[in-house]
This record gives sequence, structure tokens and C-alpha cells, in this order.
Amino acid sequence: MPSTTAAAEKLLLQMVDDYTAREIAPQDMPMDAAGDFPAGFVQQLTTTGFLGLMLPQEFGGAGFGPEVTATALNHIARGNASTAVTLEGHFKTIDQILKFGTPALQQQLLPSANDRIFAFSMTEASGGSNPMGISSTATREGDHWVITGDKIMITNGGLAQVYCVLVKTAPQELSVFVVDQDMPGFSFGKREDFIGLRGTPVGEIVMDHIIVDDDHLLGKLGDGGMIGDSAHDDARILMGAVLTGIMEHELKIATDYAKERKAGDKPLTKLQVTHRKVADIAMRKETTKLLYQRAAQLKAAGRPYSEEAAMAKAHGSRAAVSAGDDTLQILAGYGYSREYPVEHLIRDARAMEIAEGTVEKMRSAIANAEFNK
Amino acid sequence: MKIVVCIKQVPETNDVTIDPVTHNLDRRGLAGVMNPFDKNAVEQALQLKDADKDAEVVLLSMGPDDYAESLREGMAMGADAGVLLSDRAFAGADTLATGYVIAQAIKQIGNVDLVLFGRQAVDADTGQVGPIVAEFLHQPQITYAASLRLSGTNEVTAERLLEDTKQTLVATLPAVVSVRSELNTPRYPTPRNIQLSFAKPLTVWHHDDLDLDDSRLGQAGSPTIVTKVYAPEPVKRELTPLTGTPTEAANQLITALKNRQLI
Repeated sequence: MPSTTAAAEKLLLQMVDDYTAREIAPQDMPMDAAGDFPAGFVQQLTTTGFLGLMLPQEFGGAGFGPEVTATALNHIARGNASTAVTLEGHFKTIDQILKFGTPALQQQLLPSANDRIFAFSMTEASGGSNPMGISSTATREGDHWVITGDKIMITNGGLAQVYCVLVKTAPQELSVFVVDQDMPGFSFGKREDFIGLRGTPVGEIVMDHIIVDDDHLLGKLGDGGMIGDSAHDDARILMGAVLTGIMEHELKIATDYAKERKAGDKPLTKLQVTHRKVADIAMRKETTKLLYQRAAQLKAAGRPYSEEAAMAKAHGSRAAVSAGDDTLQILAGYGYSREYPVEHLIRDARAMEIAEGTVEKMRSAIANAEFNK
Repeated sequence: MKIVVCIKQVPETNDVTIDPVTHNLDRRGLAGVMNPFDKNAVEQALQLKDADKDAEVVLLSMGPDDYAESLREGMAMGADAGVLLSDRAFAGADTLATGYVIAQAIKQIGNVDLVLFGRQAVDADTGQVGPIVAEFLHQPQITYAASLRLSGTNEVTAERLLEDTKQTLVATLPAVVSVRSELNTPRYPTPRNIQLSFAKPLTVWHHDDLDLDDSRLGQAGSPTIVTKVYAPEPVKRELTPLTGTPTEAANQLITALKNRQLI
């Protein structure tokens, strides 16, 4: 008999596959065309309990571990990457509250993470990959903090109700506070019109003198940079999983088409040019899968995983774009058509060469990790 | 109220073969899933439980150890407990021998008000076990229910949907009902309920745990043998074209029907 954990994980993935096939995949193309989740889509995800998938059971969640959580997003992304990325943004934020929040803050906030989407916001017009360039501040006034600033390009921005925000608490000191959309002074700004992952809202929040107590500080004053890095690490594992799902989708499109289509009298499956492309797509998919699973295993074991997470995202994002390009070439004119999903899978994958740290930044992180060994 | 839902684990594929020796469906090596029609029965039971918090839903299945996976899935949907009937002595049972063991298990569970089945299993497609269980239990049965509600003080009312007719039937409880997929849309097990389902009781009953007549068990207790499963070849019939004007063609048709003494 399998262990309880293995049996539960098998049942979870069975449910994820069933839900993805019935409820998520049919929305993939309409979502890309509409540039948003369909009405009721997020509510249905919530009702089905996806938001609490990795939230510990003491907070009302399911408490699944890092490996199967990543695998679940991998499977969801086979049907639609935007849905998986929205969950990724939610899960990485929960992870930081679990790692750095006080027990009181966790008790206050986390039970609502089963019903409300959480988001982590770092980027500003004045700073993306350079956190010290941000201008949002939290200023001490009496026994509380006053937060002011403008955060942009937030995954789930506008959809999420709870935000971890990176601010300056001193000219050279970064800290993270948690704010809620219901707080006075909180408002939403514009939503980005991105070319990929078009279901996932990416938007702006404006904080105009939001007042919070000390208990809304994550970690200690000055921990902001470290917490931001941690959020990136957790997100990058999940993005590796999402990218694997995109490539599995691309591979299926490529092989299904090649099995049916002939060039002259020869089936595409008999052409060496097809073999090379399909083999490359399969190898890119499999290497990315191994990388994100390796990073998730290290995380589950309590060991460092920053470098492996960066590898999963840096390798996987370019791999998925290239795999999409090869898939498009196999389908030729059909691949270039909006009637087929290939072109939007390329746009979806392309987002992840930028989000959660650019691939250039990933390579610097990986190289520096190697120099330090 | 106590509701027992009988579920079957079926191969995930439709490509099932017959074991040439035992003449049973050969399910070896095939991944199993809960019979899709049975999910409608589970959902119906859970809706009754939603309306009556004191209601208890027990899932019952017969098969090898791995059938526990389907029971656990139903418990993750919301059922309270599962019972798996598993013993080498039950192997090779046809619908009659299966129905007998299931009926004996339902008697042993005790105080069961309603027994629900899916309309049929997608692997064997018989739809016979539900009615057989009803006969063994000496209880009224309603098959192919497309709607179901509790009525009166001790009744179940169901709309029975057949190919070309609908019947509204009322049965006194305890009763056995098999349900159609039109009845409802089964809920998904939530991730949290999947985890929590492993804290619910799943009991395995072997041969010696039940009051059984051994002559009714397994292959020895099965009067039917499946020798072959196949799609019937279309029957080729002789065609006689009607020719000429419409009047001539009509006369030819009338003559042909008269010759066959059909009119």
C-alpha cells in the first residue's frame, strides 16, 4: 500500500488533471483573446479549494508540500499558464508570511488565504531588478507606520486583496509590510496590457498614507531585500513548473500535428527535420522538469535552493520560447495563426524571461553561486 | 439517515480485454478510476447529507486492495466512511455473486435507509448489480433515476428516465436506487478534503468478516460466463430498390409488404 502522503498526492493530481481538462483548458484560448479570466472563473477556483493547496492545515488549507504543489502547477499549466501563474503569485506570498510573519500576523491573515488572493509587490517605476531604486516608504509616526508609494507590474495586482509591499524604512533600509485593500489610503491603479499570460491580471496599487501597526512588518526592519530574494526563489521554482506545463502543451500540439500531417507523400513523423525539432522540445521540457523538481526537493528538505530555482526559471523560460518556436515551425502556417494556441504559448513563456527577475539576473545569481563554492 | 453508495473502480481505458482462462475482464496493469456514473450516486448522497447534517454516507466497494483509491476519492468528495470487500474468495464473481456479497455487507452495515448505485459500470456495462442487491435485500428498487428526493415521512420519489418515456416512482424506504448522469454534476474533491479524507475510517472486510454462503461466492457462485466482448458486425440485408414514378414505386412497396404478410 502506498503511504498516506503518496496516496493523497496521487489523488490531488488526479483531481487537478480532471479539473484542468474540464474547467481550465477550455478557457485557454478565450482567456487570451479576452485578456482576462472569464467571469466566475477565479471564484470557482476558490470554491474548489485551490487557493489553500499549500497553506498549512492549521490555517484551513490542505498543507501539501513544495514538490507536489509545483507539480500541480505544472499540470494546470498544461491547460492554461495564466491560471497557474496566478496561483504561483498567491503561493509565493503565502510562503513569505509563513517564513517571516509573526504567529499573530499568520493567525490574523492566513485563514483568509483560502478565499482571498495574496500578492507580493516589489517593482516600481523607479526600480525593478534594482530594489534600492524604489521610492515607496514606511515612515514611523508615533506607534505606527505610514506607508506611501506606488507599486506597479504586480502579478495579481487588482485581483489580490492582500499585498506584501517592499518599502524603504530608511534611505538604505528595505522592509516588507503587509497591507490590505480594505485599508484607508489603498487604491488600485492601471492594469498592464501585456502580450502574454493575458488571463493573469498584472497591475498597480497606490498607497496613500496607509497606517499599519508593527505587527504588519514581515521579519525585522531591514529584512526587505532578503525577503524579496526569498519570494523570488519560491516563485522561480513554481515558474519552472509552469514552463514545463507550457512545453508539455507545445509538445502535444507538435506531435499530434506531425502524426496527422503529410509533406508530399511522407508523414511528418518520418522526416528527420521533424525528429530534430520534436526531440529538442522533449529534451527542453524534461530538463526544465528535472530542474524545478530538484529545487522543490531541496526546499522540502530544508536545504538551500536559490541557485537551482534560478536555473529552473532561466533555463525553462528560454526553453519554452524555443520549444514554442519549433512547434510553430512544425505547424507552419497553422502555427502562425491565432486559431491555434502555439503563438500565445510563446507569448506566455516569454513573460517568464522577465518576471521574477530577468534571465540576465538569473545568470548573475547562478554564476555568483558558482564563484562562491 | 444512513446512505450507502456502492461504487466500482474501473480501468481508465476502454481498451479492456478478456482473460482467456477465467473469461473475466482482464484489468491487470491498468490504472483504475472511480466509475464515472458512480460519482453521480456519490454526489446525490452528499446533497442529501448537505440538507441533513445528521445523515451518514458510507461508500461500499468490492475488489482488490487498490480499489481503496476510489473509496478515498469519494471520501474526499465528502462521504463519511468507506468499506472495501476484498478477498480471493470473491474473485471472478459475476453480477449475481457480486450482488450477493454486497447485499450481505449492507445487512452487516445495518440500519441503511437508502442504497445508491450509478446506472452501470463503464467497463462491463451491465447495470445489473443494483437491481440484484435490491432483490437480495427484499427492498423496492428504482433504476435510471434522473431526479431523486425524499418525500413523505419515509419515502423516496424519483423520476425514472428511459429511452422514450419518463416515470415518476415512489418507493418506501429502505430502498435501492440507481441514478443516471443527468441527475447532477459531481463535485470535485477539494485539496483540503483530500488530505482530511485520510483521517476517515476505511474498513476492509474479508470473507470471514461477513455472514456468507460459500456456494454463492466467486466464480463457483457465478452462473454467467463472459466468453467474448465485441461490437456486433452490422447485419447486411438485401436491398430492393423501388423504381419508376412515385406511384409505381408505391405500388412496388405495397406489393412487397403484402408478399411478406406485413400488411
